Amino acid sequence: MTGPCSFMTQAIATAATTATTRENPALPAWEKTNVVGAAVPRVDAHERVSGTAVYTRDLALPGMLHCAIVRSPHAHARVKRIDASRALAMPGVHAVITCDSPEASIPWYFGAKGALSRLLDPECRYEGDEVAALVAETPLQAADAARAVVVEYEILPFVVDYERALRPDAPKVHPFGNQLGEPRVTERGDLASGFAAADVTVEREFHTSCELHTPMETHCSVAQWDGGSLQVWDSTQGVYAIRRGLAQALQLPLASVRVSSRFMGGGFGSKLELGKYTVLAAILARTTGRPVKAALSREETMLCAGNRPANTISIKAGARKDGKLTAFDAKLLGGVGAFPAAATSGYLVLDLYTCANVRVEETAALMNAGQARAFRAPGFPQAAWALEQVIDELAERLGLDPVAMRLKNVPTLSQMRAGQPYTSTGLADCLKNGSAGFGWAAARKRARGRGHVRRGIGVAAGMWGYGGDPTATAIVKLYADGSANVNSGAADIGTGTRTILAQVVAEELGVPIAKIQVEMADTATTQFAPSSGGSQTVLVNMPAARSAAVAVKNELLSLAAAELGKDVKDLSLRDGAIEIAGDAKSVPLAQLKSLAQRQQLVGVGKREPHPEGKVALPFAAHFAEVEVNTRTGAVKVVKYLAAQDSGRVMNALTYENQVLGGVTMGIGFGLTERRMLDRNTGKLVTGAWHDYKIPTALDFPAEFTCLPVDPRDAECNSVGAKGLGEPATVPAAAAIANAVRDAIGVRIFDAPITANAIVTALARTRS
Amino acid sequence: MLPTFSYVRPTSLAQAIRELSSPGARAHAGGTDVVGCLRDGVYSADKLVSLSGLAELRGVSRTASGGLRIGALTTLAELAANPLVREKYRVLADAAAAAASPQLRNQGTLGGNLCQRPRCWYFRGDFECLRKGGGTCFAAEGENQLHAIFGGESCFMVHPSDTAPALTALDAAVSLVGPGGARSVPIDAFFVPPERDFMRETVVEPGEIVSEIVVPPPLQGARGCYSKLRARGAWDFALVGAAVVVATRGASVSHARIVLSGVAAIPWRVAKAEELLVGHALDDATIERAVAKAAEGATPMSGNEYKVALVRGAVAEALGALG
Repeated sequence: MTGPCSFMTQAIATAATTATTRENPALPAWEKTNVVGAAVPRVDAHERVSGTAVYTRDLALPGMLHCAIVRSPHAHARVKRIDASRALAMPGVHAVITCDSPEASIPWYFGAKGALSRLLDPECRYEGDEVAALVAETPLQAADAARAVVVEYEILPFVVDYERALRPDAPKVHPFGNQLGEPRVTERGDLASGFAAADVTVEREFHTSCELHTPMETHCSVAQWDGGSLQVWDSTQGVYAIRRGLAQALQLPLASVRVSSRFMGGGFGSKLELGKYTVLAAILARTTGRPVKAALSREETMLCAGNRPANTISIKAGARKDGKLTAFDAKLLGGVGAFPAAATSGYLVLDLYTCANVRVEETAALMNAGQARAFRAPGFPQAAWALEQVIDELAERLGLDPVAMRLKNVPTLSQMRAGQPYTSTGLADCLKNGSAGFGWAAARKRARGRGHVRRGIGVAAGMWGYGGDPTATAIVKLYADGSANVNSGAADIGTGTRTILAQVVAEELGVPIAKIQVEMADTATTQFAPSSGGSQTVLVNMPAARSAAVAVKNELLSLAAAELGKDVKDLSLRDGAIEIAGDAKSVPLAQLKSLAQRQQLVGVGKREPHPEGKVALPFAAHFAEVEVNTRTGAVKVVKYLAAQDSGRVMNALTYENQVLGGVTMGIGFGLTERRMLDRNTGKLVTGAWHDYKIPTALDFPAEFTCLPVDPRDAECNSVGAKGLGEPATVPAAAAIANAVRDAIGVRIFDAPITANAIVTALARTRS
Repeated sequence: MLPTFSYVRPTSLAQAIRELSSPGARAHAGGTDVVGCLRDGVYSADKLVSLSGLAELRGVSRTASGGLRIGALTTLAELAANPLVREKYRVLADAAAAAASPQLRNQGTLGGNLCQRPRCWYFRGDFECLRKGGGTCFAAEGENQLHAIFGGESCFMVHPSDTAPALTALDAAVSLVGPGGARSVPIDAFFVPPERDFMRETVVEPGEIVSEIVVPPPLQGARGCYSKLRARGAWDFALVGAAVVVATRGASVSHARIVLSGVAAIPWRVAKAEELLVGHALDDATIERAVAKAAEGATPMSGNEYKVALVRGAVAEALGALG
């Protein structure tokens, strides 16, 4: 019920409204760090690899029942009759809820004029739309019973092609039609004069394919009631968002809902919002008086757990002889599925490069398919796919090196945010250091290969447009024996947040990592944190944790100064002890009487507001070398360098992990992944991992460099980090596409670049 | 979820055949296909008869004539690593190594690889397709990017096996054991094209199992390899594959087999291209002539014309690796 587009709309709003109060000013930037930035192994590595980490999926409560959901097998249909009586009589089955049940009328999916559907709705608008749910003693009994629910459907006309959906004769997904509101136009300057000033113009149309969410842990919730209070364990990116959604859906006070997520197995945007399965588990748990687990199968998640919407993007771009951009005219169309969602993002076109005259028109189309959701940098890889290929075409027309062309247009201020300057912009350094590290200039001069195997290189730049929600709070406790606890409501969605929290506390308090307990993601016991999405987890939570640790440190040092008869400024914390300037002997924290007396010190830290009048965002430039077999259409990424300006590197290991993962996802987006819906039935044909092709280890380049470019940003926030997860994937596919063009001399406009695309494009140029 | 079935693990071939003769019984070797099919409702089973207790179905050995006898339970990983296979029958080692993923190759058997059901997304998905007893082949007018360009009729699935074209190129024979006794079927008669019967892929009768695969001794001067074109680096079925075996006598080709995967409901032999090799030196010009004819007779559908180019590419890659 939190809209998937919330990040980007919030992004702009946040910039305009933050920094109104300065009650918690930012701490000064670290000059030198001991623990932060080091290659600290994950604090939970052993639990995760040994299997002792309890994920929601692993949870087994006494008396727990298992939920199975009945879904529409049709792309568009109306339930004429639903009969669950046979299912209810089957062994182990305890309760059923159908679209006829009064509890199922909770409003769900919202449009401009209110709710468009219900928790269980007799009108099914895509294959996978929920019509009933039941619980049984075992998952197998539940699955069998779900199949025994008799549903008679009236099959309705459907449309699964988002371009066709906008034609007047297309079947309507909703009574109001298939276009989601009016096209959204963002513009500045004057296009006509921009193109008049251009020495060259390029106009191209691109298509990107719909990508499905496939996190390792499928979506899962366990719900349990205690009187009027509900506890939910959820595989989620944000326990607070789920709590808010549940309270709203079930009309409960926030205080009566507890959501926790100790370990979770991956989230790339599809676990930001409340899922129907969670509410169904809660309702059926209330009905039966038993805990209920609702775990989606892989196949279910492929139908209903969200996707990166396919886009059609046309860009007309103009540039002067010197490479300066003069105008962009872009039209973006996206297919969001059966219910409203963000379809496109024009942000990159508007802000990645300095350009005075820009018009971006964005349109969203509904169709009878699973709803789009936030997906690692929503809209950005699609826009980068188009924009970065167009930049390369301009460079080629102008006879400029693609890196040099980009360097001519690097902005120092945010055109999207009223021309406010960036706290730092490492884009130029990403391009410069990246091309040096990659050996760009030498590679440009190398032969592209003879015969049927061609080599090519490509570059693409990118950025991310969300600066984070600075509302996080953290608590740090130092115990009498010198061990510590850090408490944050953030979810570690696999990125290493838990480890970095410990590092920040270790940095300030000098407590060894092994003596720091990290408590996370529980609305009852941890402090508010915005959802782990939008690449904000580190940059909003770590300043809060640092501030809490500093509060403890200040109190500790003044206690120690009094006890030891020293001046506070002569004391420092290191290796679990107090060091005294000019004294070789240090005092272990456990020996401090004043600490033992109090048993614990508590520090509360709030994230400081964003810097006033400035914008803090991350940038990236990626370099790819590919080998293309023109006979077989095979594309192999052989070498890759990702230069990232995400500010400070908080942990060298998790940083590289993130970049590696982002590039892997980019390879999937650019080369292998595509959701396909059958044109004649509207049903998903790529509904299993065999047919929906995420890249494997063998698809990842053998030669890979992660190159952090740290502009030592002392202004963005008190830890100097700018967010990494999303910018690491934004330019990847575009860099590969440019490399393919360089290799074979033919540009492929549609993602993914399959063998089919290569041989078809080559055949077209031959004929 | 899985249907309710009983599970037996016979310790003799005779007992296994008896168990398999009851209605609703299915053989279970590596289980990599059976479990998926049962789970996806592709077919059902009342009884699974595990073959894992049958030692006589294991192992790779030489036949008296110098050929190869491969027990049907030999895993793809064993096959790919077997020194004899690698040395004398590289096309088969290549094919076994190219299949699936390491985990699946450790579990999946050669017999199972030949008997696996189609991977067509309509057949595996929630579609009542022709081969599952429904009225239509959804691929004919639907999403047929991965479907047949040769011999498609009524059903347009492609045979998913990598080892089948390799064994066809090697002129192997499949030994079957059933209630009626044992029989040997040449591999080119083992697979059933849709025009003969679109409800089955092989001649294996109910109650029968594949017991072993017999490969004749390698021809003098024979070399072979398998070129697999795929959408990603691992865990993938072939978009198009080419299994080639070429024997040379003196400077010229004396024997040639070119068998394609991923293009037809059965391993697809391209005799025309083979003929163009025989009697000529295996040089670039000869290869080019053969490649030009490799996709002759293809009848692509709306979405799979690219496979014609891929056939030429796969054959060129494979022959090029030998030349």
